[in-house]
Amino acid sequence: MPPRKDRDFVMGFDSDSDISLPEDDVSTSTKVKGKAKAKAGDKLRSDKGKGKAKDAQAYTWEASYTRSWDTVQEDEAGSLQSSVDELMARGRRPNLSLLAPAAAIRRTIIRHLVLLLDLSASMMDRDMRPTRFDLMLQYAREFIAEWFDQNPLGQIGVIGMRAGIGERIGEMSGNPQDVLKYIAERHKLEPTGEPSLQNAIEMARSSMNHLPTHSSREILIIFGSLTTCDPGNIHDTIDTCVKNKIRISVVALAAEMKVCRELCNKTGGQFGVAMNEGHFKDLLFELIPPPAQRATSRAAGAGTGSSNPAADLMMMGFPTRLPDATAPTLCVCHSELKSQGFLCPRCLSKVCDVPTDCDICGLMIVSSPHLARSYHHLFPVKPYDTVANLENVTNPSSSCHACSRPFPTTVSTSATEGVSPVGRYKCPECHHDFCADCDVFVHDVIHCCPGCGN
Amino acid sequence: MDLSDAPQLPDASHLSVVLDLSPTQWHLSGLLSNKYPLSLNSFLSHVLAFLNAHLASQHENTLAVFGAFPAKSLMLYSSTLHNPELQSIDSNSYAPFKLVDSTIINRISDELDAIDHSEEEDAPCALVGALTKALCYVNRISLPPPSNSSTSLNTRDSTVLPDPRILILSVSPDLSTSYIPIMNSIFSAQKLKVTIDACQVYGPDAVFLQQAAHLTGGSYLFLERRDALLQYLIMSFLSAPSIRQILAVPTQDRIDFRAACFCHKNIIDIGFVCSVCLSIFCQPVPVCSTCRTKFPIKTLQRLNASRPNVPSLNKSGPPSVVGTPQSRTPASTDSRRNLPFPGEQPLSTTPGNGNTPATNGSKH
Repeated sequence: MPPRKDRDFVMGFDSDSDISLPEDDVSTSTKVKGKAKAKAGDKLRSDKGKGKAKDAQAYTWEASYTRSWDTVQEDEAGSLQSSVDELMARGRRPNLSLLAPAAAIRRTIIRHLVLLLDLSASMMDRDMRPTRFDLMLQYAREFIAEWFDQNPLGQIGVIGMRAGIGERIGEMSGNPQDVLKYIAERHKLEPTGEPSLQNAIEMARSSMNHLPTHSSREILIIFGSLTTCDPGNIHDTIDTCVKNKIRISVVALAAEMKVCRELCNKTGGQFGVAMNEGHFKDLLFELIPPPAQRATSRAAGAGTGSSNPAADLMMMGFPTRLPDATAPTLCVCHSELKSQGFLCPRCLSKVCDVPTDCDICGLMIVSSPHLARSYHHLFPVKPYDTVANLENVTNPSSSCHACSRPFPTTVSTSATEGVSPVGRYKCPECHHDFCADCDVFVHDVIHCCPGCGN
Repeated sequence: MDLSDAPQLPDASHLSVVLDLSPTQWHLSGLLSNKYPLSLNSFLSHVLAFLNAHLASQHENTLAVFGAFPAKSLMLYSSTLHNPELQSIDSNSYAPFKLVDSTIINRISDELDAIDHSEEEDAPCALVGALTKALCYVNRISLPPPSNSSTSLNTRDSTVLPDPRILILSVSPDLSTSYIPIMNSIFSAQKLKVTIDACQVYGPDAVFLQQAAHLTGGSYLFLERRDALLQYLIMSFLSAPSIRQILAVPTQDRIDFRAACFCHKNIIDIGFVCSVCLSIFCQPVPVCSTCRTKFPIKTLQRLNASRPNVPSLNKSGPPSVVGTPQSRTPASTDSRRNLPFPGEQPLSTTPGNGNTPATNGSKH
């Protein structure tokens, strides 16, 4: 639990100009945590705590700090379960209401990302457990796995910043296992010296120069230091990145640096300062979904009549996979005798792995499930309407249309905004009722309405 | 506790069965002109025997049956919902089996009687609806039990069932309009760690079901001897996925990774893909219909030129046959290839002509 409280506390503080030293952060937050716990105990028991809390409010930021423990109410039986359920139900509803793009959105789906890891001495700080460095490696691994899950046609390269230079750790690769292998060996990445933002960005930029224009170029910097030692003017580097349409995002672990924020603002990336372990992960994982292209580019494209030069139509082939039990034949890519493989649909030659370009006819061969992974971004399920009451409904269905669980017959009194008191959520298209669990599952996982999906 | 589940015994497993109950297809399947006719009645008796075998193999096993009717899908039976309409107990049958059998048969006959013969019979079967419902059901039973039983959460961890799996018994050909929902269902099954098994009882090979089984680690079976359905079911689908590694279940033959295009819903093997949103089209289009991206005119010219014969804009004919460059290659073999399938669905043309030269070519 401590991480959550910590996070609330700093958010109330002021997340924008959080320039205090990390040591300060830690000491104040632990202090407040202790105080908070004491207060929580008092609050729940008696009213005496109120006066006490007022006296203790020595700092202005305390006023803006919402006491989450005050909002929790015990039910008749003295259990907190109903409150917890309610909070959980409320917590997941708002997310759904945000996902409702009115028009067709464009997302860059073929992505290229260079992960810049700070390997300077400041990464050995222990303000994040066990160290910033270990935590970064751990989250980077989770990030890479999830990133490839959502961006199956993307590629990731890894570059480290240490001892004043940029150090190439791994080339661009579309295979998650390869990328994970780059950062698997901890002892090879031992942090030393000062980081150099400019050197590393230049290196990343040059490795993405050759990429086709229709794919995105992104740099994600995990930065733990408060300094950078650069050989030249870093603003020149930023300008070239803008010119090359490279989007730079920074997750800082220590504090905000002006140059980092400028990097992100100018190139259209995101900037965030991690306040604790959980927030660090949130910031990283926010960068996983493919970025929606800005609406301005579409307007401009429509106005001039000439299309977005970044878009293109590609010819792709969907192969047939041969089973392991077929007679072995030579593959065209390595000239090795293998039984499994994929057949190019145009020239019928056998390649070992997809996605790839056919070595014989040059056709891009992809597995169609790879493409299909991103389709839920394109055709999202409309959010279900919350059914407030059953008064206007003639003959309401007795059970959830998806999982056939009977709906509750009693009306819940404690329901709040966005939560149906009768436990029903109605699809605006097919007008079937669904239960809360299925509502969340349909929108978060399946992305296909069981009623409309005919 | 220690005695009841001995370490050798596999854990209880959950099975959801999706039955494709398209009246048209079952009528065709039952015709005596087939080599091995299989009518709906005998199919159901095979399936019920299989379901009983699943329930009998372990007392804790759970079962849910979903039916896909034309333009409608519903749950036929689930072992968590207790049906009140328990008939008089027949002394010659085991009561739990009798309950399952009679519930399923009654629901199916009710639904089939309710189908409006004039129009609905030809509507496509709601296989996707049934599949998504099966997934929602698995999701629901794999969630931790609701708050009232939270005290007993620690004691009954086994209520969160291991190894859920879904078996699809399909008789309809691939429905290309449901490509995206099917793929979405496959990915959610992967997330839920649900194995999808598929058995194509009648009709042509189902491309999407092959992909579903392949991606979720299940097995896909194309039935040849349809009168031996029960044997196929018991030999390959009765065992839980964890045991199948030890057994020699039939492995999948070649898997077709073809996709359905967004524009004409044809199943194609070479398509044109929008680089922004990855929408698939069967012919070069100037504007992406999904994200409204305009493509450079140069690309269109290049792609059209790379296809040997630009198809005349014949709207009546199936556009995919002309849309796939492969079928338009002006080689001498081409005319021969196209001849046997003049008006056929494109899905049956490509694998047939594709496979034979493949093996020949690569062996040399």
